Amino acid sequence: MKAAVVAGSRQHRQRQVIGWVLFAVVVALIPFLIADTYSPTIFGNRYTVGLGNLSQAIALMVAILGLNIATGYSGQLSLGHSFFVGSGAYLSAVMVSEFHWSYLSTLGVVVPGLFLFGVIFGLPALRIQGLYLGLLTFAVAAVFPSIIRLENVANRTGGSNGLSIESDLEPPTWAPLDTVTEWLHAIPGVGSRVPDGLTGRQEEAVYKYFLLVIMAMVCFWLVRNILAGRVGRAFVAIRDNPLGAAASGVNLAAYKTLSFGISAAVGGVAGTMLAMHSGFVGPDEFGFSLAILLIVGLIVGGSGTLHGAVVGGLAIQYVPLWSSQTQTLPGTDVALEGPYGAAILGGLLIAITFALPGGAAHGFRRIKSRLMPVAPQPPGR
Amino acid sequence: MVLGALTWVLGVFDISLDKLSNGELWLAQVFRGLSDGATYASVALALVMIYKSTGFINFAQGSLALLGVYLVYVFSVEQGLPVALAVVCAMVASSAVAMFVERVFIRPFPPDHVLPLVIVTLGLLLIIDSAVGIVWGFRTRSLPSMFPSGAPIEWGIAQLTWRTIGNLGTVFAVVGLLYLLLSRTKVGLAFRAVSSNLESARLVGIRVGPTLGFGWALAAAIGTLGGALVVPDLLLEPSIMLRVLIFSLAAAALGGLDSMVGAVIGGLVVGLARNLLVTFLDLSELALATAVAVILVVLLVRPTGLFGSTRVERV
Repeated sequence: MKAAVVAGSRQHRQRQVIGWVLFAVVVALIPFLIADTYSPTIFGNRYTVGLGNLSQAIALMVAILGLNIATGYSGQLSLGHSFFVGSGAYLSAVMVSEFHWSYLSTLGVVVPGLFLFGVIFGLPALRIQGLYLGLLTFAVAAVFPSIIRLENVANRTGGSNGLSIESDLEPPTWAPLDTVTEWLHAIPGVGSRVPDGLTGRQEEAVYKYFLLVIMAMVCFWLVRNILAGRVGRAFVAIRDNPLGAAASGVNLAAYKTLSFGISAAVGGVAGTMLAMHSGFVGPDEFGFSLAILLIVGLIVGGSGTLHGAVVGGLAIQYVPLWSSQTQTLPGTDVALEGPYGAAILGGLLIAITFALPGGAAHGFRRIKSRLMPVAPQPPGR
Repeated sequence: MVLGALTWVLGVFDISLDKLSNGELWLAQVFRGLSDGATYASVALALVMIYKSTGFINFAQGSLALLGVYLVYVFSVEQGLPVALAVVCAMVASSAVAMFVERVFIRPFPPDHVLPLVIVTLGLLLIIDSAVGIVWGFRTRSLPSMFPSGAPIEWGIAQLTWRTIGNLGTVFAVVGLLYLLLSRTKVGLAFRAVSSNLESARLVGIRVGPTLGFGWALAAAIGTLGGALVVPDLLLEPSIMLRVLIFSLAAAALGGLDSMVGAVIGGLVVGLARNLLVTFLDLSELALATAVAVILVVLLVRPTGLFGSTRVERV
């Protein structure tokens, strides 16, 4: 057992900096490593990692982050987060394809608009608690696709057919994507994994990935700051003991609606990111199954933690994908077909609730505190 | 001015006065509404059973009913049993599944922590739905009805079919039997004791676990029966119970989540509202939205529903 490092000491800070630098390097290098459709074969099954899938996972992380604010931190059970994600996606899609805005400028409408949506949505939450709120939000999530298909709006939203967005996110000419690729390719050993140069489509995918990563980081950073302060403490107090919070002077009504507002706004950004990623929005993508998936991601990753959103996003993107790509079981000649992904996610949800109620983030934290213990700062310094 | 406003409203919703003054159409929609309502009521009854005993909403209730309906299909179409007998067999089988599920997945959790239980039922929803998809595939199938086709009473286009009568009769019979079971038998007494106060029930020697398992089994049987009523009007495919679940949730919320009579009345009201609104306001895409609107209005105006008991919280 190593000696514990005191929190806030130089050593501790050094370790944190090293950690962040490593993280940044990995995030920056991954797209070049997997741009060339990296698909390992394990036991006769081909699994795709794919840059596109990773980008989608990043958008889902932000969606879970939003859900985390209302459900994980403030304790308001919301099964209807897909409604906000869908609204954000459709708002962006319509503005980009009809009015030729750029994606980033649509955020100027999506964020305040969805914040308002969330506040309106949160108003019933003042009277309705716990399960009843879950029930209402569940119903709202299920109704979103039929709102999109309404005749009055179908000419804008594309109705059942969905909406393809006529805007190509092309990397600006100053982006040194090709140069970086060539450098990486020149590194002996690892370099052989990196393609010699990027094709146009790969370049676009890499560019989108970096855009989404930056957007996600900004979202996580903003949410972290909100939650670290007075507002975040109020949210947690409402979750842990509403009566106690009210008695200590937390304005329950204001903070509950605020938590729904922020949650919806972040969800809207996630929707924009999904639209950016795929260039297409369809009504059934944002139905009740997405709402359930987001809850699965929240619980599996760890409700009430920021790291949990990252793990959850990866889980709900890759578990269904990889399980649909598993067509043979090793050692048997059983052919697998059908919606195994959903079954595995359901099993994961139950298993995590049983064995690791804090989710994966909680498990990581325990391992980390075993390997690299950090002692709290001694008093009186 | 009032007249002007009225014509404006009619214009917005594209309502023709011909339609509104068509008595036969009204009657036809009322009959259809009652028929739909009976099916919503039966699934709502199952939700209420679970809510009464454990205090949480079982989001997997629709999936258990889905499994039950596929069992009805297996017994009646594949094994060739008479439909009514197949329904009874499926009810027994799905109760067994529900008891197993309750024993393995629900009972390990302390009953007063609602959130993990809700999460587990969501997990069960995913597992059961996909298991049905894996076993039976996504092909649509038709399921025979328990009741003869044809209509004993006809009035132009308005037909009171045997199916409507059968659906309504079944639901009322179920409520009656449940009432007798809960008020006149020892098991029912234990069930009521557990649902009113779990701790005290345990202290006076009631075996809480098996009683809750009994509640789950009963709920699954009722849900299966409800599914067997609703599916013959539609086609059988794995996502069918989701829509029914939403309408039934609306019905249960309207009636009050812990009232059986409320569930039946709520189901009938939601069924009627859905059919009348869709016909006269031309809102076929918004059928689900009417259910959501019902839930929202009820929860805002009267959070305990029409017949639910108010919860008093001790500080």
